[in-house]
Amino acid sequence: MKNLPGRIAVPMTLMIGAACASAVAKPIAFADGTTVMAEYGAGTMTEVQAFYAPTFRYSLGGGHLSLNSAENDDARDITYLRLNYLPKRWNFEAAQANVFVWGGAGRAHIGETGDDEFTWNAGGQIDYETRRVYASLRTDYYDASAFSHRIDTLQLGIAPYEHDYETLAVWFVIQGREYTGDLFEGTEWAALLRLFKHSAWLEAGATREGKLQAMLMFNF
Amino acid sequence: MKSSKLLIVFALIATSAYSDTIEMTVNGLVCGFCAQGIEKTLRKNPATADVLVSLENRLVAVVTREGTDIPDTDLRKALTNAGYDVKAIERTHRSVNELRTVLKEGK
Repeated sequence: MKNLPGRIAVPMTLMIGAACASAVAKPIAFADGTTVMAEYGAGTMTEVQAFYAPTFRYSLGGGHLSLNSAENDDARDITYLRLNYLPKRWNFEAAQANVFVWGGAGRAHIGETGDDEFTWNAGGQIDYETRRVYASLRTDYYDASAFSHRIDTLQLGIAPYEHDYETLAVWFVIQGREYTGDLFEGTEWAALLRLFKHSAWLEAGATREGKLQAMLMFNF
Repeated sequence: MKSSKLLIVFALIATSAYSDTIEMTVNGLVCGFCAQGIEKTLRKNPATADVLVSLENRLVAVVTREGTDIPDTDLRKALTNAGYDVKAIERTHRSVNELRTVLKEGK
């Protein structure tokens, strides 16, 4: 990323940040549930999100994403609205699998020019989870007049023990992410430690380059 | 001594009479957020006195208030609307504390 020109690096950081925000968690927590999330991503992004799910099938909400290039003074501020939908869920005896799709739109403020741009997003996720293993595959597509990119993310997680409702859940997660189009070549790997209990979720880790990723989420 | 034993027996009978519990076997319980959502849904029912969710045992237990009940159809609807599948429903007289003890002992 450091070798990319700022014109490309900033949108790419934008895409990474937006994907990080929800790739590690399901976009719908539970029916009549509100999700509030804050994320710090490698010093280049800060994001807050809030979603409300009237039913377990869909959630509505919005967020604000601030991005600052590590290379120059380029900055992006994006405010968006999004709809998440769950078209299919499989409930097994000791496992669950889901298919999610989503779409959204918003405004991107370009710091260095002062311009505002319309941007839209569509994506999907399929996941499978037991109390010991977790796998998800996700794709995100972003489009604006200045850029269009797709990001594919694979997450594999393993828990050292089977947690229950009253106990702390601990997960070790490996993440691989590939950027298609003319954005970036190769796969970015990260190792994450995920902890959650009751309504609180904390996740922290680092990319192979040693950059910190952290997220705090509450469901209520 | 005899009278105190009788008192204990009466107390136990009274306690169990108030502890009408509906125990449901549920598919898809894999995370704490699942349990949180189910508990939130069931506590909205005015007949609910307490709720216990055990991921390990695929168990959702609802203790009903004295003299009340929740029909099976309402329970199935509540769990289905929360995104889960109810496989079995059983009515017992075990209190939540008794259930917790039993589950802890792995019986």
